[in-house]
Amino acid sequence: MEIFDLLLSGLGSALTMQNLLATFVGVLLGLFVGALPALGPAAGVAIMLPAIVNLDPTVAIAGLAGVYYGAMYGGAVTSILIGVPGDSAAMMTTLDGYPMAKKGEAGRALGMAVYASFTGGIISLLLMTFLAAWIARAALAFGPAEMTALIVLALCLVTVLGGEDAYKGFIGLGLGLWVGMVGLDPISGTPRFTFQSIHLLEGIDFTIVVVGLYGLGQMFAALGNTASSRREKAEYSVASLFPHFADFLHCKWTLLSSALIGFFVGILPGAGATAATVFAYATAKRSSKSPEKFGKGAIEGVAAPEAANNAASYSAMIPLFTLGIPGSGTTAVMLGGLLMLGLEPGPRLFAQQPEFIWTLFGTFYVGNVVLVFLTLLLIPLLAALVFVRISVLFPVVVAVVIFGIYSVSYNVADVMICLAFGLAGYLFQKLEYPVLPILLGVILGPLLERSIRRSLIISEGDLSVFWHSTIASVVLVVAVLLIIWAIVAPLIRHNKKVSPHA
Amino acid sequence: MKLFQLAFAATAIFAPFAVQAEDYPSRDTTLVVQSSAGGGSDIFARTIASQLSELDIVDRQLLVENRPGGSGSVAYTYTAGQAGNPYVLQTIASSFFTTPLLGQSPVGPDDFTPIAVIAIDPYVLAVGANSEYETLEELVAAGSISAGTTGVVNDQTILAALLDEASGLKIRSVPFDGSGEEMSAVLGGHIDAIFGNPSEILQQIEAGDLRALAVSTDKRLDSLPDVPSFTELGYDIAHSQIRAIVMPKDVPDVAVSYWTDAFEQLANSELWHTKYLEPNNIEAAFIAGDDLKALFDETTVSFESQMQKAGLIQ
Repeated sequence: MEIFDLLLSGLGSALTMQNLLATFVGVLLGLFVGALPALGPAAGVAIMLPAIVNLDPTVAIAGLAGVYYGAMYGGAVTSILIGVPGDSAAMMTTLDGYPMAKKGEAGRALGMAVYASFTGGIISLLLMTFLAAWIARAALAFGPAEMTALIVLALCLVTVLGGEDAYKGFIGLGLGLWVGMVGLDPISGTPRFTFQSIHLLEGIDFTIVVVGLYGLGQMFAALGNTASSRREKAEYSVASLFPHFADFLHCKWTLLSSALIGFFVGILPGAGATAATVFAYATAKRSSKSPEKFGKGAIEGVAAPEAANNAASYSAMIPLFTLGIPGSGTTAVMLGGLLMLGLEPGPRLFAQQPEFIWTLFGTFYVGNVVLVFLTLLLIPLLAALVFVRISVLFPVVVAVVIFGIYSVSYNVADVMICLAFGLAGYLFQKLEYPVLPILLGVILGPLLERSIRRSLIISEGDLSVFWHSTIASVVLVVAVLLIIWAIVAPLIRHNKKVSPHA
Repeated sequence: MKLFQLAFAATAIFAPFAVQAEDYPSRDTTLVVQSSAGGGSDIFARTIASQLSELDIVDRQLLVENRPGGSGSVAYTYTAGQAGNPYVLQTIASSFFTTPLLGQSPVGPDDFTPIAVIAIDPYVLAVGANSEYETLEELVAAGSISAGTTGVVNDQTILAALLDEASGLKIRSVPFDGSGEEMSAVLGGHIDAIFGNPSEILQQIEAGDLRALAVSTDKRLDSLPDVPSFTELGYDIAHSQIRAIVMPKDVPDVAVSYWTDAFEQLANSELWHTKYLEPNNIEAAFIAGDDLKALFDETTVSFESQMQKAGLIQ
């Protein structure tokens, strides 16, 4: 039970005045940065780096970690209140969070996001505390062939997110795959669909696509629709500003499964928190008794992605600490921070710096609790944003979005691309095309393409590489079963309906 | 009124980059890295950024910014597009020379202002600890293997081509998005081998997760005294990576001399030697000015001939 002693001493040092203060300040800053559209946790941590170099390493890391999970939650705030995801990992939260806010349940949705972030975080942390070294090794079994299988499975899972019209869903997915292909070919290095523009050579950043297509698009649509926005505003009440604890109990299974999904997807090399939220949301919708409520303000639709992205944000640190491999953009910046502080993450860190590692784990636990208190206090204040008239709020938001996009790359072309996606998003809304399949194409397409092509280089073009690995074949079989189920299930349902009359 | 507007427009265009010697730098400078975080170039960049401020060589911060992808041309294109901007620095890798030669990048060395080379980084050929190959000889006997790379053509693929030429071993290069993913693939046994900078792979070698087979310098490395060099094993291969900094074209002279001076101070500092070069087993170097321009030209020529020999270009 050595691990408990280590964890307790870690918690002890996390609770010292200076570490607690650093966590507190970090979480507050993170909330603010995360709430700014396009500025996500990676940017938040990067902005903080220069300020923390001269602090004691544990205080510095406590602050950085605070910014990290503060920003992860902050992303959900704008997703829910104004339908503009604060960063790409908060994209799925807008699907049900924003409809809830429009129904006058902003406080409830924000509350659920806090419970979900907390639960996802704690489950992931517990797994990380006890299994970190083992799980990091296990995740190495996922090479290009296994990743290919996993993404095929993801594509089968997310078919439930296609919307009511399957044709429009597939058209959207195709568009998304195409957008994901813009830029230099990742394997052969030749430009694709760049139309000779150097701004497209780098490809289109996913955050820009999601903020434009989803956030700006639906805002433009709402601005053209004043009658409905006024009507919705009348329904808000003070009671709507407060979270409901009963929701937490109601969603406990969704939270647990989403946290586990987030944890496992977060560890895989190159998969990322956004993919984890897509997985979790799709699974929650599939296993729900009332999937038709998803996308229209289902509380589980907020719980699933928020639990998953927080779980993934912690588990992404496992390869960083155990193997020295950063698993996501934010952990990559954290790696920079660790190096600046004179710590070298890798296989020897646990052995050489046990005190540091356990204090760090301690601050993660403490930070998670700090986040709950801070955000529960802030929720009524944040939720009061819904009382602001749309005609005042949206122009301000558009300005903040432009500022956010520009401040990431200092590139006006990115702002233009974002506005163009906003216009496209507006058109899709008017033509009743679902936006989500496009975004799924942009996330999953590049992952799939890279994995397939890498696998085939390794196997010298032999296709059997995709079923020679046990993991890959099991995952592919599950994917095939999902497709068969999708065909068979309506037939069974149909028979059940028919049989009483027979 | 027209004149006033014109003057105003002119100021608006030139004002951002109008630099006075006494107040340069008046804000933080961005250091663009052409690979994702965690790789050798990234560690190099972040070490520079922290040591320059720790040694009080520069007053303002260097902000590291990763712009990975496109074999480095993403970052180079971005930086070249900042012509005249004295607040952008760029780390380079071999892709700086190779991508324009292959026609994969619209910008080449001529679109930049060379600042300084401040280290030279060797490569180690390593396989996973569970690999069946114990020595380079056994690996060569395999006839055909897969190896990770972080670009379509870079130092790693050049080394692969050189090894093929010298030994007949066919190496299928698998491009990954960064050395983190590449490392995961070799540790997981998905690819056979990796050419890695010591700074990226020494920890894994020392932890027993990777087995080093050969080093790409003429002599053995101090940190890996038991690992022979390619030359020692009878293959005439010596190829290392230069760690250099460039700026966009047309930056003011004051910025060029400011940074050349800053990097010279850094390269000569004890901190740089004890905290970067020695732990990462990187060779010390400082090359700037006309020498560096000449080195860039030579490197382009040598890459071109290596690529022709390897059949990568006509």
